[in-house]
Amino acid sequence: MVAAAQPWGVPVSDELEFYTIDPRESPAEAAEVRLLLSQCDLDMEAGIEIFVLGRVGRALVACAGLEHNIVKCVATAPEYRGESLSLKLMSEIIHLAQERGHHHLFLYTHPKNVSFFEGCGFYELAEVPGYVSLMENTPVGIKGYCRRLGAQRQLGLKIGCIVMNANPFTLGHQYLVRLAASQCDWLHLFVVREDVSLFSYRDRFALVQRGVADIPRLTLHHGSEYMVSRATFPDYFFKEKGMVGECCTAIDLQLFRNYIAPALGVTHRFVGTEPFCATTRKYNDDMKYWLQNAPSDAAPIAVVEVPRTQCAGVPISASEVRRLMRSGNVGHIAELVPRDTLELLNGKYTFAQPAEAGGVGA
Amino acid sequence: MKIVKEALAGTLESSDLLVKVAPVTEERLEIVIESEVMRQFGAQIRKVVEETLAKLGVSAGQIVVEDKGALDCAIRARIQAAVLRGADQQQIEWSKLS
Repeated sequence: MVAAAQPWGVPVSDELEFYTIDPRESPAEAAEVRLLLSQCDLDMEAGIEIFVLGRVGRALVACAGLEHNIVKCVATAPEYRGESLSLKLMSEIIHLAQERGHHHLFLYTHPKNVSFFEGCGFYELAEVPGYVSLMENTPVGIKGYCRRLGAQRQLGLKIGCIVMNANPFTLGHQYLVRLAASQCDWLHLFVVREDVSLFSYRDRFALVQRGVADIPRLTLHHGSEYMVSRATFPDYFFKEKGMVGECCTAIDLQLFRNYIAPALGVTHRFVGTEPFCATTRKYNDDMKYWLQNAPSDAAPIAVVEVPRTQCAGVPISASEVRRLMRSGNVGHIAELVPRDTLELLNGKYTFAQPAEAGGVGA
Repeated sequence: MKIVKEALAGTLESSDLLVKVAPVTEERLEIVIESEVMRQFGAQIRKVVEETLAKLGVSAGQIVVEDKGALDCAIRARIQAAVLRGADQQQIEWSKLS
């Protein structure tokens, strides 16, 4: 007897079968995934590029999604729960990620599921109790990173740190770095590495490098996945649940306080006041709580908020520079940025006017 | 044999193991082993891993093993597979693997 064609193109059997789908191209299956997720108190998250689905016969019994190197929406049907199915599912998603070029994976989950994912080779990095834990799939990830950072430690009583996106590098950034460096025995400066901003990481880093070249007692560092990255800054994770304010910066700031700052001996974190960008302003406010006041085994880090330098009564900010670029008001930009930035704008970015890429504008 | 890229072999299922290999900047071997039977067999697992790497001539790289109670032969096979993938090896000398 010939079996009827199956709606999902997979043979019907009682064996567990795994296959992948792009949720944007398979709306019917995406609807099934949504149903399975809702049974597990999870929401379908935007941005997932590929799902591994597990079926027993026609029944969808397991799913796990991937957005870049972040594992999301992992669920198994309640009646099929048991270590065996979940471990198979996790093996599938880890191999799928590898095929797509992602070796170092991150995962967000409720703190109650941490021990399960530990059994899948994930290790907890930070936790907001009762809400969320961030895990990575290597026991030597952040440890190795901190060991490499530790080699750049400098002696001194007051060690400062700035993390900036510099999208693009302005006279305001330069002012902040100079001021912080003058107040510290040493200053560690990081440039956000995630390439989601208008200016490429390569260009942003090069401009910062030139802009701070003459400032003494300063180390310029490449950013990493452990600071202001897609992985540590999961605003998408809470957007729909209205918890943006509560958790989305907490993970990033805990990683800074518990790992990065101790590795370098950082005592002070400097930041410019934020007049325009709500995300950055919120980040600054949360910084004071998570770095200074929140209970932690790690020493508190003093947050120093420096009022922005102004140009003709208006605070200088990178978001303002991008706005001027979009409106074609290039002449005014010369007053806000160092010469190197201006040259890059004229040479490379003037006619490129993609949609505003948001992110942390500091 | 030199590990030039990140690679995987194995699964997290019972009686199997997942092996992850990656290149490192320093010329040294970094082996991390996690096992459900670490207390009973941790030393033996490490011995098998080290011997297998030595036979393959791997002297540098990061090797992470997530063991779910695999037998020695499975450990050897998964280590070999991960290293061969990570070394981008096309020509395999089978006699060296035995």
